[in-house]
Amino acid sequence: MEAKYDFERKYREQILQCSRCGFCQAVCPVYGATLRPALNARGKMLLLKEVMDRKIELNDELIESLFQCTTCASCYENCPSGVNVPEILKQVRKDMVHIGSCHPAFRGMNEVLKKHTNIYAENEQEDFDREHNRKAPYVFFVGCVGLYREDESTEETLELLDRLEVDYTLIDEVCCSGVLEDVGYELNEDLARTNMDRILATGAGAVITGCPYCARTFNNKPQYAELKEKGVEILHVSQFLKDFDFGVKTDKVVTYHDPCDLGRHCGIYDEPRETIRKIAPNIVEMSHNRENALCCGAGGGVRGAYPKNSIAMARRRLEEVEETGAEILLTECNSCVHNLSNAKLRKQKFKVYNTSQFINELMETEE
Amino acid sequence: MEIEGYNMPDELYYEENHFWVRREGELLVMGMDDFAQKMAGEIVFIQLPDEGKKLKKGKKFAKAESGKWLGKVFAPVDAELVAVNEELETRPDLINNDCYGKGWMYKIRPSDMAEVEELIHGPEAVEKWVLADIEKYAEE
Repeated sequence: MEAKYDFERKYREQILQCSRCGFCQAVCPVYGATLRPALNARGKMLLLKEVMDRKIELNDELIESLFQCTTCASCYENCPSGVNVPEILKQVRKDMVHIGSCHPAFRGMNEVLKKHTNIYAENEQEDFDREHNRKAPYVFFVGCVGLYREDESTEETLELLDRLEVDYTLIDEVCCSGVLEDVGYELNEDLARTNMDRILATGAGAVITGCPYCARTFNNKPQYAELKEKGVEILHVSQFLKDFDFGVKTDKVVTYHDPCDLGRHCGIYDEPRETIRKIAPNIVEMSHNRENALCCGAGGGVRGAYPKNSIAMARRRLEEVEETGAEILLTECNSCVHNLSNAKLRKQKFKVYNTSQFINELMETEE
Repeated sequence: MEIEGYNMPDELYYEENHFWVRREGELLVMGMDDFAQKMAGEIVFIQLPDEGKKLKKGKKFAKAESGKWLGKVFAPVDAELVAVNEELETRPDLINNDCYGKGWMYKIRPSDMAEVEELIHGPEAVEKWVLADIEKYAEE
């Protein structure tokens, strides 16, 4: 049977390799929140097999399953057959957009990024009372969530960089637009060009990102290849901070949530923990950690398209925080901070921070 | 009173960012009005600060969020936060379903109850304000 869609041409063998063992079901955050087998990776692979066998059509009826995935890659990590479900779904979504079947939230996001500089269609960008677009050795690239949803955390991260006397500049940044690739569209070339021009104009040798997804996009997408070609290093703030001595410590019990974009997608598990051990030796691990960390539920556009389920996924993660008895939950991603903070119940007395934000608070208290 | 499809009860006072206020003894109850909840769509998060927080008239003291919209909640008068609707933690949709009843958000103790008279109130003033905002948001 001739392949009708690109996902078949690229991933037919992988989809058929799914042995329906259900290991993915145990770790899928969407399944964990909904208990609907059609929404876990195995369910999605079964649907795609039916599409390849021409038993069902790829159409709007499949949107809820195929577009409801945080692309956390927990299924891939645990799949004995090595089925790379997130990559398969990204291609399926492109095929669906091509035939006119797309979740309206994602269609909207693509339209928003044609007219606006950020995914929220906000007009006023927080400037953090700092100079922008000047010559400096480092650019600090905030990312949409850090600019428009978690600006208080970003302010504290910038204060920390100031305390550490890092010579950085902010730029008039626009969305890296990497998320479009997750939800059926192509990265926006105009936005990428704008970011690269503004980064290169500073003469910086490195970009420090507050957002792990932006770091992934700059490092991996061909539209941003010029940065590396011109010798610009891309670092997430957790990588940048690992060699600093902060000179402060807390006795509080802390735990660490691995963001999927930093952990499973980039393999960065140790640097954030090394930094935390320096300032908070009483670090405890949640029952799911590192490669097996539960997703906070915000990724893959799910926070925007399926907010109730997204919050439900975060609540499952927060139950694990409670079980540790930690007073502080640290992470390294503004999307995770945002979703986990929104989901946290008042009776849950621990606080949620980005690590850099927490370090800054400790240093401020010491003064 | 219904204004172009928005239910805006006559007896309430309104803060200009579309939060309603109602007297309840020495306290004020507040929530999001019908115009705001319809503009926002499905509410997914309401920040519920700790009781005792001091509120300054016109200053942001909490956040509200739907799928892709973030709203700021402003203090209608100088006050102290004395109670929050904890049901909104798990049922933020109460604001969409019953914004003037079960979807109430906060109870505050005003420093000066007379300040409430400075808020938008009375059918004529409310209609003029809502019609202007309908026009404003239609342009955006």
